[in-house]
Amino acid sequence: MDVTERETLDGHLQELRRGTVVLACLRLLERPGYGYGLLEELAARGFETDANTLYPLLRRLEKQGQLTSEWNTDEARPRKFYRTSPQGRQLATVLTDELRAIAAAVDALPGKE
Amino acid sequence: MNRPIDREHATGTATTPARVPAGASTAAATRAADLTARYVDAAMRTVPEAQRADLAAELRASIDDQVEARIADGEDPHSAERAVLTGLGDPDRLAAGYTDRPLYLIGPRLFLDWWRLLKLLLAIVVPAVMGAVALGGALDEDPFGAIIGSVVVTGLGVAVHLAFWTTLVFAIVERSAGKDAAPFAPWSVDKLPEQQDSGRSVAELVTSLVLLAVAAGAVIWDHARGLVVTSQTDESFLDPSLWPTWTTGLFVLLAAEALLAVTVYARRRWTTPLAAVNALLDVGLAAGVMWLYSQDRLVNPEFFASLVDEDAAEVTSIVSTVLLFVIVGSAVWDAIDAFRKARRAGPA
Repeated sequence: MDVTERETLDGHLQELRRGTVVLACLRLLERPGYGYGLLEELAARGFETDANTLYPLLRRLEKQGQLTSEWNTDEARPRKFYRTSPQGRQLATVLTDELRAIAAAVDALPGKE
Repeated sequence: MNRPIDREHATGTATTPARVPAGASTAAATRAADLTARYVDAAMRTVPEAQRADLAAELRASIDDQVEARIADGEDPHSAERAVLTGLGDPDRLAAGYTDRPLYLIGPRLFLDWWRLLKLLLAIVVPAVMGAVALGGALDEDPFGAIIGSVVVTGLGVAVHLAFWTTLVFAIVERSAGKDAAPFAPWSVDKLPEQQDSGRSVAELVTSLVLLAVAAGAVIWDHARGLVVTSQTDESFLDPSLWPTWTTGLFVLLAAEALLAVTVYARRRWTTPLAAVNALLDVGLAAGVMWLYSQDRLVNPEFFASLVDEDAAEVTSIVSTVLLFVIVGSAVWDAIDAFRKARRAGPA
């Protein structure tokens, strides 16, 4: 695969994965988590994300009311912990259902190997 | 696009992200404080005051976490910090992500409105101003080079001003309107452009033939009877020395134009070669008129002398100049218009 092909593929994959990071965050933050920890967990679970994408995303979701936040000062380093709000939980359910519907629709498409 | 932190590092520490011993961080953090502090400061510069402290603390903690994870994997503190900050990228870009600020001057929502308005303004205002400056210079009898110079300079200046102020207003609107605001006016099918006339209708043929005949007739009438027959004058408007050589040249041009109009009608369309012939005829006309103007042989000096008592020479000069501009302007427009119609009609 040459460089342009590689870039085209990366572009398509990125496009396809874009919305799934939001879904993954909303589901993972049922248990409170902070920026870097969430970044690692996302990567471990196959939702590889850039730090400079994730951090602003958390802020945005909080502003929309999908997440709530709280500073935890118990440890030596104070960290801001995010948690999915009831509204965010609803959104996660809708997104999950939608993703399943898309997967089913893709399975039903002709032209599979 | 920045690549995320190495996958190996990520999976290695993923299960225990919060359990890095606090003590291990302090030494590294002190040594590395300089670059990170500068990064956080740079990122906070464009963040609104109210969010600054909270965001700075969070960003700082996130960076320290990432640096620590790398150190725990055996990297030296200095290069770990550099790698993390490099991964985060330009701090202003990161801040724009936090604050939802656009990283473009005019986005897709307003681009078409901006582009259409700018093209319209440039197409109308610049030629109008240039024409006015040229006419003013000619009426003042400025030297030819000075007129060209001031026309070019004014044209450029006006174009730059139009582009700058239009763009500035749109950039401000882009930043003041809500992110999801609609374009100025939503598009509808009613806005589809009409299918443009490509210069092949009978009406157009008749119009051009009639106009050419009227032009030729006016020149003959002017020579034979004088343009306006009053009790005061029967002098011709055009310089009498133009008859017969120059006027014959004009009739040849007019006949060629008529032939061209018939050809365009017969071919049912303008083509690029036909437009080129048309442009040649226009250049011929414009060049002839400009030559006569430079020789003061366009308008009969006796014509105004017999109509007004004073300043006849000045009136003659002004009328000649205006006539020159009208004829040359129409010739230029006619030449351009034919090429536009040829292009619209598409390849032959």
